[in-house]
Amino acid sequence: MNNFFEVENVDFVVGGNTKVKNMSFSIEKEGDIVCLLGPSGIGKTTILRAIAGLEKIKNGHIKLKGKVLSSEKINIEPENRNISLAFQENSLFPHYSVKKNILLGAEKNPDNKDKKVSFNEIVDLLDISKILNQYPHQISAGEAQRASLARSLLSKPDLLLLDEPLSNVDQSHKEDIQEKIKKLLAKLKITTIIVTHDSYEAFYLGTKCGIILNNELKQYDDPYNVYHLPNSIEVVNFLNRGILIPAKVTSPKSLENDELGTITGNFVKPFPLGANVKLLIQPEDLEHDDKSNLQLQVVDRKFRGTNFIYTLKTMKNLLLPVFVHSHHIHQHDLEEKFGIKRPIHIEHLVCFN
Amino acid sequence: MTKKFNIWFVLSFTISLFVCIPIITVFSSFFQNTSNYYEVLKDTFLIEYILNSLTLLILVLIFTFILGTGTAYLVSFFKFPLSDFFKWALILSFAVPPYIYAYSLTAFFDNYGTAFTILTNLLGDGEYNKIIPKFNGMFGAVLSMTFSLFAYVFILSRASFLYQSQNLIDLGKNLGFSRFKSFFKIILPAARPAIVAGLSLVAMETLAEFGAVDFFSINTLTTGIYNSWIAFDDLAFANRIASFLLLFIFSLFIIENLSRKKAKYHFNIKGGFKQKEKIKLKGVKSFSAFLFCFFVFFMSFIFPLSQMLYWTIKFPENLFDLQIVTLSLNTLYLALLSSVVLISFSLISNYGNRVTNNKTLNILSTMSISGYAIPGVILAVAFITFIAWFDNTIIKSLGFLSIKKVFFGSILGLVLVYFIRFYSLAFNGIKSGYEKINIAVDESAYMLGYSKRKTFLNIHVPFLRNSLLLIVILISLEIIRELPITLILRPFNFETFATTAYISASEDLLEAAAVPSLFLILIASIFIIIASKYILREHNE
Repeated sequence: MNNFFEVENVDFVVGGNTKVKNMSFSIEKEGDIVCLLGPSGIGKTTILRAIAGLEKIKNGHIKLKGKVLSSEKINIEPENRNISLAFQENSLFPHYSVKKNILLGAEKNPDNKDKKVSFNEIVDLLDISKILNQYPHQISAGEAQRASLARSLLSKPDLLLLDEPLSNVDQSHKEDIQEKIKKLLAKLKITTIIVTHDSYEAFYLGTKCGIILNNELKQYDDPYNVYHLPNSIEVVNFLNRGILIPAKVTSPKSLENDELGTITGNFVKPFPLGANVKLLIQPEDLEHDDKSNLQLQVVDRKFRGTNFIYTLKTMKNLLLPVFVHSHHIHQHDLEEKFGIKRPIHIEHLVCFN
Repeated sequence: MTKKFNIWFVLSFTISLFVCIPIITVFSSFFQNTSNYYEVLKDTFLIEYILNSLTLLILVLIFTFILGTGTAYLVSFFKFPLSDFFKWALILSFAVPPYIYAYSLTAFFDNYGTAFTILTNLLGDGEYNKIIPKFNGMFGAVLSMTFSLFAYVFILSRASFLYQSQNLIDLGKNLGFSRFKSFFKIILPAARPAIVAGLSLVAMETLAEFGAVDFFSINTLTTGIYNSWIAFDDLAFANRIASFLLLFIFSLFIIENLSRKKAKYHFNIKGGFKQKEKIKLKGVKSFSAFLFCFFVFFMSFIFPLSQMLYWTIKFPENLFDLQIVTLSLNTLYLALLSSVVLISFSLISNYGNRVTNNKTLNILSTMSISGYAIPGVILAVAFITFIAWFDNTIIKSLGFLSIKKVFFGSILGLVLVYFIRFYSLAFNGIKSGYEKINIAVDESAYMLGYSKRKTFLNIHVPFLRNSLLLIVILISLEIIRELPITLILRPFNFETFATTAYISASEDLLEAAAVPSLFLILIASIFIIIASKYILREHNE
């Protein structure tokens, strides 16, 4: 079966420097959303620019709807790709009002009957009705970003590329807009690639997520799998949501740690008996139990609204994160003891050599 | 952006290369034979030329610095009678080219001149010629250029002072500095790049000045070039002197460019900018500030204007002899035609640079904008040299008819050399407009399906409209005042106000030079008043 969109063995370069090497990923169905995550400066924007036709590629090819857009020999001009890129910075035409800027988007594909969306619908969705008559220099960075997004959506492209689309949007608007964008993209079946450094945004919006680290695509998978089943230590470190502790494989379904004792669960990847591994412990993996005989010292407590994340120190100075619902009956102060329920059972045992 | 060899590259490359022709021609003179005049001159006058040029340069720089920064400081930081008026009125001095200032100085202070008439009318007959100072020779040239050129320093340092935050002034107060100490320790150093930029422009204009030094019979490198060409018919030697002058000017040009980069750094203050509150001066201080600004305004604009007006009224027959309509049409025709040509080609080359982002093209463009630093006399001579060489070696060898007539003594030749001379004005003006358009704006247009041509016509040109209008005004102003290129390359019987004034003055008919000079000042003043609206608005943003 032909993929809707395909990147095959591509080296993404900018100014002669290779930013991302030998990257391959595909989007099977029209309307899917892919989120690319990675640290700043890793080349996420370069990938979007190359897909849009603003940068050339080295090796491999980029295909959309079965047609090669970029390869070492072919490079279709950006204006002939029917791809829309919403830039992170203000890219509105400075001499046109916000309204005129957005309406220019509608001129691109006026006859596209599959993707019906009105100017008013998009303006309401992005909450920009109050700035329509203003000029780009009179609005905030967040408003400019939303106006630019509106223009891109209205152009009804085959592929929409969003570069940190909500990075300048304030928190109060962000979740609301994320929700609305997701619904609209689904309704219009606009295939989208979003570049972001916000993992929550990526996990919420993406059908698939790609993690780019050290010049390559490290993992490309469902958001759930990326989070719960990271395929490398680099991905674990990047997502920064757990700790690796030393353990020994004692059976096909258990491991042993000096301080935590036996840990049971299902190995994501098989390891031989007796192998020394590093086991990923995420905040959700350990359960709090005041009556447990495994008592560790609280060294930090982060209040996250719906939950607390406690950091506990073991005798061997391992720092374990533990998630506790914020409605939990009592709180533990720093230096206090904190019980961990035993035996420990973790559904997915993610281990590395 | 995708880098590819395209039509925009070819066009930009051709335009930039064309503008570089005079530089190449001038430096190629080192490989050509010159007449005996070179040997004679080398042993006799060359040192004098260089010393005179240097003396002129140093004195003009000192005086324009004092007048330019002094007036700019007063109108930027203080309130006193007419301070808001002086803010733009001091720019009017641009309407008076140095050669017209020189005519006014002579007309006023010469034996039996206007000063003599005034004293006779006031005090009765007397031997006033002995006590009236004579501003001839070097000092006259220095005064003419100072009052005519100080506005470069005024405009740039005023812009820099305007952008100085109140925080900076408060910092001085906090450190216990007096106003005097604040000026020298904080305000002046912070504005240094802008002042250096202004002084560099003054330096280039001074070295390039032809009319005033010729009128006062001072031998400088510029008049040397003119003489070696006119009197000795030695183009190669004219170009060789020109190359010395060019090297000197290029050094200044590099200093100016470097300081401009720093100036940019100084101007981009983000956050923490607090608008200055002007200090209201009282008593003697207020009067002194007013007096200083009024003196500069009077000397730079009112004095030459009234002198020319006085002679026009005194000798009305000159007014009727002059074909004012023809001269006005000729002057405006040249100004507008050149503006259109300059704007069109500069737009193309700027856009070419933007979309191709090619290093070779960038270097060539940087070289090509140095045309402004090249004196008009050199450009005209270099142009003639190049066309003569092209005609003799290429056109004739191909068996075609000579093309000299097409370029010499024709509007086409004149406009082409104006093009080279003022290309940097148009190119840089458009470039600074382009710098306000983020490259992402172009790319957004491509995303909306716009071709490069459509992006250029529908996005860039409308956005740059105001900048373009300002550039047209500035180019027109330069062309109205321009003398040597027009003088050398104009078609037979085709005169402008500038050439008419020069010809009368060089025939010792100063009173006849008054009428064209007066009209030149008036037309230039109108252009300046329109331009000042833009200049002041830009700076207030």
